[in-house]
Amino acid sequence: MTKRLVIPGELVTEERKKLGSHVFVNEGKIYSDSIGLVNDESDYASVVPLEGKYTPQEGDLIIGVISAEKFSVYTVDVNSFYQSIISKKELREIVKPGSVVSAKIYKVNELNEMELGNPRLFFGGEIIEIGPVKIPRVIGRDGSMLNSLKEGTNSSIIVGRNGRIWAKGGDLDLLRKAIKKIENEAHTENLTNKINEFLKKNSPKIEKKAKVEEEEMESEE
Amino acid sequence: MRPELWDLRVDKVVADLKNGSRADGRKVDEVRKVVLTKDVSENADGQARVKLGETEVIAGVKMVLGTPYPDSPGQGSISVGAELVPMADPTYENGPPRSDAVELSRVVDRGIRESKTIDFSDLCIVEGEQVWIGFVDIYIVNNAGNLFDACGLAAISALFDTKMPKLEDGRIVHHEYNGKLKLKHKPILNTFAKIGNTVIADPSNFEEKAMSARFSVTVTEDNITAFQKGLAGSFSVSEIDNAIDVAYKNSKQMRKFV
Amino acid sequence: MAKKEEKIVYVDSKGKRLDGRKVNELRPIKIKAGVIPRANGSAYLEWGQNKVLASVYGPRECLPKHTASPYKAVLKFTYKMSSFSVPDRKNPRPGRREIEISKVCGEALEKAIFMERFPNTQIDVTVNIVDSNAGSRIAALAAASVALADAGIPMRDMVSGTGVGRAGGKVIVDLNKDEEDAPDAVDVPLAILPNSKEIVLLQLDGVFSKKEWQEAYKLGVEASLEVYEKQKEALKEKYVITETKKGVEKK
Repeated sequence: MTKRLVIPGELVTEERKKLGSHVFVNEGKIYSDSIGLVNDESDYASVVPLEGKYTPQEGDLIIGVISAEKFSVYTVDVNSFYQSIISKKELREIVKPGSVVSAKIYKVNELNEMELGNPRLFFGGEIIEIGPVKIPRVIGRDGSMLNSLKEGTNSSIIVGRNGRIWAKGGDLDLLRKAIKKIENEAHTENLTNKINEFLKKNSPKIEKKAKVEEEEMESEE
Repeated sequence: MRPELWDLRVDKVVADLKNGSRADGRKVDEVRKVVLTKDVSENADGQARVKLGETEVIAGVKMVLGTPYPDSPGQGSISVGAELVPMADPTYENGPPRSDAVELSRVVDRGIRESKTIDFSDLCIVEGEQVWIGFVDIYIVNNAGNLFDACGLAAISALFDTKMPKLEDGRIVHHEYNGKLKLKHKPILNTFAKIGNTVIADPSNFEEKAMSARFSVTVTEDNITAFQKGLAGSFSVSEIDNAIDVAYKNSKQMRKFV
Repeated sequence: MAKKEEKIVYVDSKGKRLDGRKVNELRPIKIKAGVIPRANGSAYLEWGQNKVLASVYGPRECLPKHTASPYKAVLKFTYKMSSFSVPDRKNPRPGRREIEISKVCGEALEKAIFMERFPNTQIDVTVNIVDSNAGSRIAALAAASVALADAGIPMRDMVSGTGVGRAGGKVIVDLNKDEEDAPDAVDVPLAILPNSKEIVLLQLDGVFSKKEWQEAYKLGVEASLEVYEKQKEALKEKYVITETKKGVEKK
């Protein structure tokens, strides 16, 4: 299943296919609106973009950074087009500007403004950022890539759909390198196998996995 | 307000330093990789592009004809300016220079001007009437931390590269040159960040977010030609003395690029 | 003071110009996408002697709020010339020429972007002309389009263009500075959306007949499509796989 690289305004197909995402119609022909990949064998005319900011979707788990405190809410940077807000009543823990939280997107309006819920504060660990469009590759089909990463590095990992990945414990250096590799090769085939090989070649000593709140916070994939 | 300050990342920088390690694997007094090229502008009389790690700045020199100050009729001058172009950082905006841009320009300028690197009487054409003014303009392309040292290196390298425009009947002849600008020294700017109780050289972006104080020192082969302490924290005199030693050491390497 | 000015032949009998080009030939163009890590999108472009850097931030919150539109994104385009980009040092403060060029370039790009998808946001495009020799605003647009695509901002097409005009009595494409200084010079910056050929930037300086304009337009569109190919190449080049012994890596 080879994929074809297209740029904005480039022809996707002249056939009458069902319309997927990141395409538009002009005089009966379907064009791409982004730089991305097209699967010519699909029934859908669709482009998977290789660049771009995070477009919020209901139900997504995201990782945000508290940016300011207001009277009854905190504003949160979610690496999208606007900041979002979390009501102080929703928070069980004490946060301040700079605190990193995970949250679920409850609602998104037509302006891409989102309502966040179930905020949880992260303790320790670190954040790795990658382009949000590459996140599906970090998760993989049925979570296969994410499992490979967890097992291969022994780290606790939580993936935010908005391009932020929280990780703690295990071989974080190896994890960072693996994620960078995924980001650079997101548009290639066979990525899960390549990453598995990469992790095996550089596999860390088996350490006791640190106990974290990961189980509570894990979103269904 | 964009929350560039993330607790987790700042905590990590501080914790790592307690173990003597930095995110990119450098030692506390180690400077990032430097790449210096002269591919900025054919219209410049002198030029330099500096990449210090991922921080990138471009500098160009234009020698301009001017009139001398009344109290120094036989002296030309130089003027160094750095602009925080809105392309280099999401927080930069169009408009008049912020105080940090002004500080940056003046610190870079001071280290070169006060170091007697250029004999300003060399820049005199007709005493009391016409002198050369060397404008060094620096534009930030990508801010990945430590603009001071990147701009310092770019400025002195561009000046070192500068050819003197040919004059005919008191006017500049474009694209024709007559010799080079004479510089006696190669002053190098070295900046340090204090994080917790550790002082590190050449702070990167996230290290700058974690720093409580900043110290810059310009040195020639033998002497100190500028100090600047910035931000609201403080340094002990032994930290300053140690930084000066590191500055002398690191400058030897940096000077090779000029 | 020259006694007798030598008559400069801008286009000789064989159709060769001062720099050896044919009347419909562009100067060499090189483009690289993704050169500024902090920016959402970026590009570096060389066009003849012109050297330009373009950056894109956004779509992001529109501030100050009163400049925002509830119907679409607001494009804030800044064209700025470095002080050392021209033979006589340019004062770094924005002049009227830069302000006008910023306006027409921003307006050219708006037609290419799906602005209505991002209401209440702003898209910041900054182009720094680092070295210039005629045609810098078109070079700026070419670089800005690549930077916008590099930022993943949805567009209906690139914006591609070239200067057209006249020097030495002949209609030519992509005038350089010497040609712009010709006594009969006409300079017409032109930019189009390559698919539909819609004109999104058009200005004129000089005295042109309608017939000359039509000839210039034809040559201009052909040349603009060549520019488009360069832009496409630059964007796709970022994703070329180079198989090496160590494995596969992105450029």
